[in-house]
Amino acid sequence: MSPPMVETRQLTRLYPGGVEALRGVDITIGTGEFVAIVGRSGSGKSTLLNILGGIDAPTGGFVSIRGKMLDYTNRKALIAHRRTTVGFVFQQFNLIPSLTARENVEYPLLFSYRPASERRKKAEVLLATVGLAGRASHYPGQLSGGEQQRVAIARALVSDAPLILADEPTGNLDSATSGEIFSLLRSLNKEKGVTLIVVTHERELADYADRTIGMKDGRVVA
Amino acid sequence: MTIRLLEFIELAFRQLFRRKVRVILTVAGIAIGVAALVGTVSLGEGIRTQAVEAIRTQSDLTLIEALPAVEGNTLQLVTATKASAAGSLPGIKASAPLVRSTFATRGQTYVQVVGLPAGSLDDVLISRFQKGRGFTAGSNEVVLGASLGQKLQRYEGARIGDPLVLIRRTYDAAGRPVDNETRVVPVGIMEERGDDFDQILLMDLSFALSLGGDEGGYSGVLLRTTGPDQVFPVAGGIRALGLSPRGSFEQIEAVNRMMDMVVIFLGIFAGLSLLVGGLMIASTMITSVYERTREIGIAMAVGASEGDVMEMILTECAVLGCIGGICGDLLGILFAFILNTLGGPFLASRFGDAFAGLLDSEIALVTWPLLAGGLALAIGLSLVAGLYPAWKASRLNPVEAIRSGR
Repeated sequence: MSPPMVETRQLTRLYPGGVEALRGVDITIGTGEFVAIVGRSGSGKSTLLNILGGIDAPTGGFVSIRGKMLDYTNRKALIAHRRTTVGFVFQQFNLIPSLTARENVEYPLLFSYRPASERRKKAEVLLATVGLAGRASHYPGQLSGGEQQRVAIARALVSDAPLILADEPTGNLDSATSGEIFSLLRSLNKEKGVTLIVVTHERELADYADRTIGMKDGRVVA
Repeated sequence: MTIRLLEFIELAFRQLFRRKVRVILTVAGIAIGVAALVGTVSLGEGIRTQAVEAIRTQSDLTLIEALPAVEGNTLQLVTATKASAAGSLPGIKASAPLVRSTFATRGQTYVQVVGLPAGSLDDVLISRFQKGRGFTAGSNEVVLGASLGQKLQRYEGARIGDPLVLIRRTYDAAGRPVDNETRVVPVGIMEERGDDFDQILLMDLSFALSLGGDEGGYSGVLLRTTGPDQVFPVAGGIRALGLSPRGSFEQIEAVNRMMDMVVIFLGIFAGLSLLVGGLMIASTMITSVYERTREIGIAMAVGASEGDVMEMILTECAVLGCIGGICGDLLGILFAFILNTLGGPFLASRFGDAFAGLLDSEIALVTWPLLAGGLALAIGLSLVAGLYPAWKASRLNPVEAIRSGR
């Protein structure tokens, strides 16, 4: 039996000043699962996502990705984790305004020393996948919110990362566009087999996921 | 790696294009600094070249005299072996040992006398005569320098072919002065040379030695180099032999020493304005990093290492420095052009004939190494100025950076 994609045990995150964002979180997420983490603001869901993505570090417990412990004291290992294992989708889209949609998608590959031709080809395929084939040369400022988030999703997929972490991906979108984004995430999960962990506070959108993990005050609740 | 650097450079241009006004001001700061540096150094180099050229054309640069070195308080005469070694140095076309002594005429004119082998008048001294000819070997014939000849003709009625009495005063055992008279025959007066030989009476070496004076050696060795390029190496060779080189090249050395100081001081002041340009870059990049905090956080989240972030920021600094350096070089060339076009006629009209030479020559001399140096300095300074903002950017916490509203 293959190890789970993500496993955390007794994960804690204590911020300076005594704020406990995570208080012993135990979760297990299988490969290819689409999991929604729901909870109110301040419940610790974004902190959990940041720790899984290797841009924040826990103060206790451990994280295992595909059976391998993530060493948060090893900077090189964390950079490799961010380059190859995870793809981020943010609430604010977080595209680089001076780059076109295609360039934004291929941006992560720049740090992996991939050849320009390969990057370009991959970015164009992914833009087509998210339905933006005709918008490759547009700058973020020329795209709608939904389109920007699609570009961000394509960017998260470009490194062939097996795990996509989306933090409130529809938080800045209207309900119709939010539905479209979740549908897109769902289909990518089905077609590409990527594991999706989506943080949202909208229960109805969580219905797109295979299962929902609830969080409250830094703990997993049923 | 190189391709990625090119892509970082392209990204840098895009980032800079987003902040046009600020970038233009920063580039202007660096450009003015580089232009000031290029302008002042080119001016210094131009003046140096003018001065050196003047020395080259107005004096006999390829003639060097190797003098005995002073050891303690005594002058060690040049031995025949040393004279021969000096004559065998690479770059020497001809050489001749010489003796110097001082005589007086009956009219109380003090005369510096140099004894040289007869043949060296042609091959070492390359003498030209306004009157008469050179002396012959073993004779009491002498040749007068232009000024000395004029003086003796005017005040003592000396004429070519008429004997001239030279008096050398010595002292006997009782300390009484004894004047030894020597009869010589002037056979030629040299053309004006513009050096010490204009004041000298030249005679054959063997005749000079027979008159006494320097014993057991020579007063020096006259050396003629194969060309102006050989002058400084030969001077070095003479020093290596323990002798002391003298000649017009010393004026060039003096000009170079002086101009080095002038260029350094001018360069320091110009460099200060370049320093201001560097501070502007640091300020621009610190602001840029502050404004792009979120972007840097995103780059880190998608896999950029701390080194990648530093490389990106430093590439931007290098691009800024490069643009500033190129603009500064162009401004410097413009400054030199204006100086050469307008400065020469201005100085010539203001100070008269002494500066007439400036009309058709370059006061400011811009060279490729100078332009390359200006550009390299601008890039180097920009990189140094960018170190702190780049380091600051690379130390950002990705989570906090992404959360920041910037």
